[in-house]
Amino acid sequence: MPRIEIDGQEIEVAAGTTLMEAAEQLGIYIPFFCYHPKLSVAANCRMCLVDVEKQAKPLPACATPASDGMKVSTRSKRAKMAQQGVLEFLLINHPLDCPICDQGGECPLQDITMGYANPHSLYTEEKRVVEDKDIGPLIATEMTRCIQCTRCVRFGTEIGGISELGATGRGEKMAIGTYVAKAVRSELSGNMIDLCPVGALTSKPFRYKARSWELKHSQSLCPHCSTGCNTDVQSLGKEVLRVKPRVNEAVNEEWLCDKGRFAYAGLQAADRVQTPLLRINGSLQPVSWADALEAAATALQKTIGRAGPDVVAGIISPAASNEELYLFQALLRGLGVRAIEHRLRQTDFRADPAMPLYPALNMSLEQLETERNIILCHAYPRERQPLTNHRLRKAALAGAQIWALDSTEREFNFPLRQIRAAAGADLAVYEELLALLRDGTPASNPALADLADTVRAADKPLFLLGSGLLQQPRAAELLAVIAEIAQQTAARVSWLAESANSAGAWLLGCVPGRKPGGVQVEDAPQIWDEKKAFLLYGVEPEADSMDAPGVRAALDAADAVISISSFLGAAESYADIVLPLASWAESSGSFFNNEGRLQQYRAAVRPAGESRPGWKILRVLADHLELAGLDFDDLEALQDTWQKQLGDFPLDVPGFGVMPEIAARQQEGAEGLQLLGDWRIYQQDLLVRRAQPLEQEPVCRLHPDTVAELGISGGAVELLARNGAQVQLPFVLDAGIPHGAVWLDLGHPETQALGGVGTTLRVQMPSIRVRA
Amino acid sequence: MSEWLSQSSLDAIAAERSKYPPEQARSALLAALRIAQEEHGYLPEPLIEHVAAILGVPAIQAFEVATFYTMYDLQPVGRHQFCVCGSVSCFLNGSDEILAHLQERLGIGIGETTADGLFTIKEVECLGACKDAPMMQLGDRYIEDLTPQKLDELIAQLRKEAEQ
Repeated sequence: MPRIEIDGQEIEVAAGTTLMEAAEQLGIYIPFFCYHPKLSVAANCRMCLVDVEKQAKPLPACATPASDGMKVSTRSKRAKMAQQGVLEFLLINHPLDCPICDQGGECPLQDITMGYANPHSLYTEEKRVVEDKDIGPLIATEMTRCIQCTRCVRFGTEIGGISELGATGRGEKMAIGTYVAKAVRSELSGNMIDLCPVGALTSKPFRYKARSWELKHSQSLCPHCSTGCNTDVQSLGKEVLRVKPRVNEAVNEEWLCDKGRFAYAGLQAADRVQTPLLRINGSLQPVSWADALEAAATALQKTIGRAGPDVVAGIISPAASNEELYLFQALLRGLGVRAIEHRLRQTDFRADPAMPLYPALNMSLEQLETERNIILCHAYPRERQPLTNHRLRKAALAGAQIWALDSTEREFNFPLRQIRAAAGADLAVYEELLALLRDGTPASNPALADLADTVRAADKPLFLLGSGLLQQPRAAELLAVIAEIAQQTAARVSWLAESANSAGAWLLGCVPGRKPGGVQVEDAPQIWDEKKAFLLYGVEPEADSMDAPGVRAALDAADAVISISSFLGAAESYADIVLPLASWAESSGSFFNNEGRLQQYRAAVRPAGESRPGWKILRVLADHLELAGLDFDDLEALQDTWQKQLGDFPLDVPGFGVMPEIAARQQEGAEGLQLLGDWRIYQQDLLVRRAQPLEQEPVCRLHPDTVAELGISGGAVELLARNGAQVQLPFVLDAGIPHGAVWLDLGHPETQALGGVGTTLRVQMPSIRVRA
Repeated sequence: MSEWLSQSSLDAIAAERSKYPPEQARSALLAALRIAQEEHGYLPEPLIEHVAAILGVPAIQAFEVATFYTMYDLQPVGRHQFCVCGSVSCFLNGSDEILAHLQERLGIGIGETTADGLFTIKEVECLGACKDAPMMQLGDRYIEDLTPQKLDELIAQLRKEAEQ
């Protein structure tokens, strides 16, 4: 263990510790730009030069390991000269445009210049200029400001798994870029903004909006997936201006994905509901809260009075807080309503009795990095849970064997083996794997045989179940086969929970047949069949359901649809009462993440217009419905109540309970191409799909052979659904899509009418060519 | 054989590749790019991408290398390249005048090629012949203690050779 001295303070450090890390342990600050604890050491900015006794030249602290007896000075004359020299050279080509630079006020170069530079420069020649780059719609580039620290390049290759960025050229001509002009796309790209120590990479949506010191910071959580990333919501007045990650090593380390970082832009969407709305003479009219609440209570009571509580269904967003989820189900159960649901994208619920207490990872995110054998079952965490995906990537880079079984090949950013089902034959893949493992039958697919060998040889491999599995038309049968595989092989089963609080929705009884704490009650009626009234909470069923056309028909046919939501959307045509809901940034609450970790978030800004925090809306609605015991005065009292009801629960839960008998469902044989699809990363919830900077145009994907067979040329196809819907979409050739299938970006207004996975589509050349 | 490279070049690249451990494909880039340039004369973008694909490294890594070293030509070059050293020893001994003279005589700028495809002027980094500065590299020869007169003779001689 080397003992060293820095600025007269002695410290003993572990072998291999760098001078930078040793100084940090002593609380001594050494200025730096290129060094970053999560990235490899580049030692190219030279800002951290320190004076080491008996060394001919100053050494970079970030790249110099401590060795016994070293005497280091960070403030000697030589160290100071080195710091001043480095800064003078860095500033030679740095434009002094701080007054118009967004980084101003939170710029390491600015701060370190103020602290360490010699105010006089000898440089009088011209400065260089560097061409700006296109690295996506989210990052503004001003490459003349770049000091070539290469943090963004190293982030790309080491964390983001993208290797398009590099440093080309030499000497003063060196520039960061892609060489061949192309956009860099990564779901983690926004982190490069945080990493850039100057104003070369700044946030495009935040550009020129405010100075960092004007912003109010609020501790929040990301509501867009189950990882539960800790965020800092920064606001000015009533407006959220940006979202940045908060450091939490156990959850998101110091990263945030672009979904979590930029979705806030959706808060300003044009269809934000500002006042309560009531349908009067066929159109929604602004009314007072009192009138709207009275109308909602009356509608529910009338419907139940006439036809009983089983004609009412309540659907809540899995991104609602624990407080909202608890109150929602308590209110509905108080009315006798049993059809309470949060899983819009699922259609096959036959395996419900075997579902775990909550969709649990059964380990910490940090432990996930140490797994050795992982089988992803219809999971694409790169788009659903980007920072959980980051942990998987770390596991893969550390040598874990990862496999993915899915309907299609996906663009993972780490090494793994993918096994793709034939079009619509997803179940067959799992069945074959089971047969291989149980009976040792010869495999038709050599990759599956390899997987079976891996599973057999592995010590308790981990089957990680993704949302894609539950979206399958025969999800229950797939789950039953996986449960059987797990039993045969002593494999462990964990779930990648889909939304920010899917775990909370399960734990707090927002599923049919289960009360808070997972207490099973009698079977509940199906959500969509024969319903006369719907209570919708923060959802857009027409955009988030697999069977969007069927769901839309049910909503249109209902006597009363009450939508508690921040956004109007298509509810404009089917809702009878709309109650404006404060967004996540405008209210406080708590989420359970995928690990079962309970985390709190605080309101950052005041609710837009007349909208109110959800728990207050539900409380007052309960009051109007004369339901006792739900009149909570404050959030704490409500939290105490649900926590008491939930009780203590184990964080690790068995992947499956007892699987009921599930009969094989006949696959509908129909002509056309099998429809496959998923919600893309920026289509996954109400807020993110309204964030303009994240807009994604829907496309469909076809295998080149399919396109050749159909004789399609050009860039667009016409898709015809069996229900008569007809949509024209641009298509992309993708050899990862199974032959005989069409892959659709689901949830877009354009694609909703076509239905979801499990149906078939006819695909043909557009019949009418529209010239632009 | 590939669209860009002959079998012998591909074999040569494979031989270079085999000198490095499996996970260090990047190390073979220098040699692979040199081999590609020898066959093709210069390195257009698709060829650089092709070399990267042969080695299985991201294309940007090959671009980083190709743009760093002056020995790689990213544009078509003339039959004779005057690679004039512009580093400190040569600079102090008048490399600027040598470059100016060359430009004037040939009617082209640095990095450009004469219309007859005979000459290209390049300014390069130190070639390690400081004692005879100013100097330049021509093909695989060093030409040292340069003077304008010496250059004129050389140009005349090369033109004559080309006419024959």
